[in-house]
Amino acid sequence: MSKAQHVERLRQAILSYDIEGARKAAETAVKAKVDPVEAIEKGLAVGIREVGEKFHRYEIFLPHVVLAADAMTAAMEVLEKAMPKGKAKQLRRGTIVIGTVEGDLHDVGKNVVAMMLKSAGFDVHDLGKDVKTDAFVEKAKELGADIIMASSLMTTTRPYQRELVEELDRLGLRKRFRVMVGGGPVTKEWADQIGADGWGKDATEAVKVASALLGRAR
Amino acid sequence: MSRPLISLLEVAERARSGPKMDVKDWDLGLFRKMEELKKRHRLDCSGDAASFNSNSDLADRAYKAAVDFLSEMGAYCISSGRAIRFTGEEVREAVRDAPSEFIVGEGRDARLIRKRVIEDRRPTNVIGGLHAPYSEDLSWIVPKNFAQVPRSDIIEGFNTTTTDGREIYGLPIEAYAGRRELAWMREGVRKAGRPGMAICYYPISTRASTLIAPMDPEYGLRRTDGILLSILPDIKVEYDLLTAAIVYQDYGAFRENGGGGASIGGFCGGPEGAVVEAIAKCIAAWMVYRDLLHNVGVSRLALGRDVAGTPCVLQTSTVHEALCRNTNLVVFGGVGTGGVGPGSEMCLREKALSAFVSTITGSNIYIPRAYRPNLDEGQTPLEVEFMVEVSDATLKSGIGRKEAGQILKKMCGRYVGKPIPPSRSIRECYDLIRHRPSREYEEIYKLVKSDLAGMGLRFD
Repeated sequence: MSKAQHVERLRQAILSYDIEGARKAAETAVKAKVDPVEAIEKGLAVGIREVGEKFHRYEIFLPHVVLAADAMTAAMEVLEKAMPKGKAKQLRRGTIVIGTVEGDLHDVGKNVVAMMLKSAGFDVHDLGKDVKTDAFVEKAKELGADIIMASSLMTTTRPYQRELVEELDRLGLRKRFRVMVGGGPVTKEWADQIGADGWGKDATEAVKVASALLGRAR
Repeated sequence: MSRPLISLLEVAERARSGPKMDVKDWDLGLFRKMEELKKRHRLDCSGDAASFNSNSDLADRAYKAAVDFLSEMGAYCISSGRAIRFTGEEVREAVRDAPSEFIVGEGRDARLIRKRVIEDRRPTNVIGGLHAPYSEDLSWIVPKNFAQVPRSDIIEGFNTTTTDGREIYGLPIEAYAGRRELAWMREGVRKAGRPGMAICYYPISTRASTLIAPMDPEYGLRRTDGILLSILPDIKVEYDLLTAAIVYQDYGAFRENGGGGASIGGFCGGPEGAVVEAIAKCIAAWMVYRDLLHNVGVSRLALGRDVAGTPCVLQTSTVHEALCRNTNLVVFGGVGTGGVGPGSEMCLREKALSAFVSTITGSNIYIPRAYRPNLDEGQTPLEVEFMVEVSDATLKSGIGRKEAGQILKKMCGRYVGKPIPPSRSIRECYDLIRHRPSREYEEIYKLVKSDLAGMGLRFD
């Protein structure tokens, strides 16, 4: 099998949401001495981007993106082991911790944002809904996250987004993590007022803002 | 001998003792089951979204698929991480047991809420706002204005960012704010001359203490009022809502399911999955919360857009028909009403379409806020009055689904695909003292109404 065929097999495993297939394709590629960076950039990343585009065109659904992201993770685990130390982290677009704030059970929009981020190549850790501020902070510390994203769908739960920013300040961690906020009642003005780094009016914009934030030097 | 309807305490026990599973396994299992049910029941709901379902057999098969879903999967409790299982007999018994009509409110303001059928000639029931955030300084005057719409049977509450000037932040103030919300609503309906009008509590937060706090026969939530307790997306429930359901069941207030809809593209998959999920959520809401009213509408998962999308009328009307033909559940509809807030032609176009579709498809009228514009104070009584007018005009026109399909196309043609205009707050386009829209908004209203009359709706 040629190098191009190995790369294509990885891409196809993502496009067919095949977790085991992706792991095996990665193992075969490593054995065949395919450059892991090339395997990721030309195979996995291309595949997951195509999944994201299909999702955005309503051709596939949320579960497909979940499975494609799982397939990508499975292959990445194999390929990263074959890379020099530190290289894997350089390749990642960024690590994001996301959740709906305390007291709020709305999560459809947050789920969509999480999936679109995954399909854009971010490493996303979804804490679910009704997430306490401490849980956001602890997870971000544990993972060395780049961005914490807090969603709120009720005006009465918005203050927990501010609490997150304040808590990071209090702990001296504000400069370590960028904070993005979103959700139905969350506006740009609110984001500015509480000192968040970013806000997206919808899922598409959230991905753009996250990309811009990580491309920008602090 | 038939078995009694499953009790809420039994549901609570099953939520604690059902099979443990990771939420991701539930979500993916939901998708797989929907795909399987789509094949098993030969479901195809992928036709022209801007059309009414005219295939009753499809609606019946979608209903059977929903019953199968609940019998084979049940619901998922996110608090305990367990599935709540039901038998097929329990699901069917629950459906048989649901009431087709009930009374809300009290005294001369009491209203009969009832199930409608496809192409029903009887007037619709109306839940006329608010379900939106407003500032505290508008506390009673906004509900008063909404309660002044005579055809409204129920009004939902609203939330604020402050109460008594303090930010609502943290449980103690949340619970107090819940009580204040009901007190303001009571004052509003009293000032509108409808002291016994049914109010549905729009929860300040979803914690049990805040959900229960306004219970107060004298100054707050009466036994003739209600509360929004919704099934969560992907047929999920949780302990706080279940707690409130048990308490309010004992107290006597009615419960409303604001989550009877489903999103195409979510964990349920495509249009067929969304149809089955919406039907299953309504049945489940009756079983686990004893919800009497169900707000049902299928939409596409919102990924971000700048133009108005085609409303999912085909899928929504299939759900309405499935529920009308096979259950007694009382359905309120909303389709494509969330795109734009007040003050624009598109807002009234969207609202008109929603009222028209609901009236034709055996549903009642539900008037929620627009949820896309990230706008506070984003609903006025004009939208409520207009939707009622459109509903009544639809009935007067005496049209069936076939003729309605042609009008629907014209309605969609007026706004679908056009850029979404800016929205205005109630202060910018409505006079709350005189109970009338601003001159500019009134002109827009006249224009849209005249156009709809030209399409065949009889507003006389």
